Amino acid sequence: MSAPSKTRSAIKFVFWTATSIGVFFLVANLHTSGSLARWYYYSAGDDGYAVNADTFKDATAENPAMLQIGSFAKLDGLEAAPVKKGDRLPELANGVISEEELEKAKRVSLEGNLIKVTVPWQIKESKGFKYKDTFKHKGIVTYPWGAVYNVMIVIGLGVTLGYMAEGLTDILGIKLEKIRHFEGH
Amino acid sequence: MFNFPVAGIEAPIPLLVLVGFTVGIVGGFIGVGGGYMVTPALIVFGFPGYMASGIDMTHIAGKGVVSTIRHRQLGNIDWTMALSMVAGTMLGVELGVRLLVYLKHMGLSTVVLLMTSVVVMFFLFLYTQIETRRAHKKIEDMAREGKSVSREVQTSSLPAMFQNIPLAPIVICRTARVVVSMWVIVIVGLVTGVLAGFLGVGGGFIRVPALVYIVGASTHIAVGTDLVEIVFSGGYGALRHSIEGHVDIVAVVFMLSGAMLGAQIGSMATAFVRGPAIRYILSYSLILATCGAVLRLAYVLSGQSIEWLSLFAVMLTLGEMIFLCLFIMSLVLFALRHRRGKSVPAWVPPLVV
Repeated sequence: MSAPSKTRSAIKFVFWTATSIGVFFLVANLHTSGSLARWYYYSAGDDGYAVNADTFKDATAENPAMLQIGSFAKLDGLEAAPVKKGDRLPELANGVISEEELEKAKRVSLEGNLIKVTVPWQIKESKGFKYKDTFKHKGIVTYPWGAVYNVMIVIGLGVTLGYMAEGLTDILGIKLEKIRHFEGH
Repeated sequence: MFNFPVAGIEAPIPLLVLVGFTVGIVGGFIGVGGGYMVTPALIVFGFPGYMASGIDMTHIAGKGVVSTIRHRQLGNIDWTMALSMVAGTMLGVELGVRLLVYLKHMGLSTVVLLMTSVVVMFFLFLYTQIETRRAHKKIEDMAREGKSVSREVQTSSLPAMFQNIPLAPIVICRTARVVVSMWVIVIVGLVTGVLAGFLGVGGGFIRVPALVYIVGASTHIAVGTDLVEIVFSGGYGALRHSIEGHVDIVAVVFMLSGAMLGAQIGSMATAFVRGPAIRYILSYSLILATCGAVLRLAYVLSGQSIEWLSLFAVMLTLGEMIFLCLFIMSLVLFALRHRRGKSVPAWVPPLVV
């Protein structure tokens, strides 16, 4: 394989570096603007109450968290918004406490216009490893096009980073020749 | 610490980049995604179990692209073989996932999964280790007799058997210099895909030995070709996990930035070694992963009462990543010393070029 010219290598490196940085900025922008979280916690997968599970993660049976029920557009604190399956979730909602869970009344219960949370997390296991399982991610549906976007970002970033690295080794003059698999050494 | 609002945790960025980097080296060198190493690491960092698998699979797809670009430059990819296998691999992965879901409904998944992992990985370790030792000895004998030794030496008689199956269509894989029935390649993709889907991994550690010992590809070409498969199977897995809401793309991006560098080192390192060196590293990764799976199995069978078994399994898995990286880097350093005529341990010359 003939060595590429320095100018061509430099153009290749600069182009793919700029594209990689562009993809990183795109992801950073989606992250800071909250778009990624909104796509992720997109709609309700169950009938129940949309909540922000981070706000009551420290609740205990002795010191339960009391969530105010109401039609909130944004869940800023100890709040819960009633939702039906398929409804868009309010801003900052990251889980749905299902009506089934409320009927069981083991971890959460309905008390008038309040939801009482006594067991905000449980220890569960996946592939032999333990982790804290909270109300987060429960009863939510992710935006399907957001999933496609994820795959496009990761494949796109793979391509840009791969060619950027190739451009860098070309500039550094590291000669990478095709391996002669069947010739003796 | 960085706040991941989707995963709902705070995790250190340098550790994510480091995990991507180390698995990138190993994956680029032996052609595996490294799922069995990454998932436990992510759980240790605090990611929920369901999300650890999704992040892992998505990062594998991106890393597969990075490694594929480099292996293409090195001439390690046989596109005919890779594209012939894609349909079988995808169908296999889907069947494997459905089998897993069925077993989950029956309440058997964890024990069956771990037992299957142990049996498959131990068998592959044993066969690869025995065959590679024979190949290593053969290279030493050839060198002693002053014969020219090619980059690939393998002693298994299985490829000849499978290449003699006269089932049309017969495909000519020019880069790998293999003429074989397409059905052999498709079935290798299907079977390894079922195992990959069932075990929840990319499947490289099964597919690379299968391409070497059944299809008859050289180890370097098996690694490069397998990485193409990983792009497809990983991409499909990433889509499925993303739809289920198991992926925090920000964590994936951090891991991928480390994997980009690691994959370069791992891929380029293959240019310094012969096929048996890659197979040795693959077999060591298999036995270490088997030990981790045995510990987890013992922990599950003990009714999850012996906590140190689980802890030790995690430590072993993380230690494995570091051990394999150091092994690969030291092989490259020994190869460079050998090229300059400097002294190296006696076992090194047959493994490097």
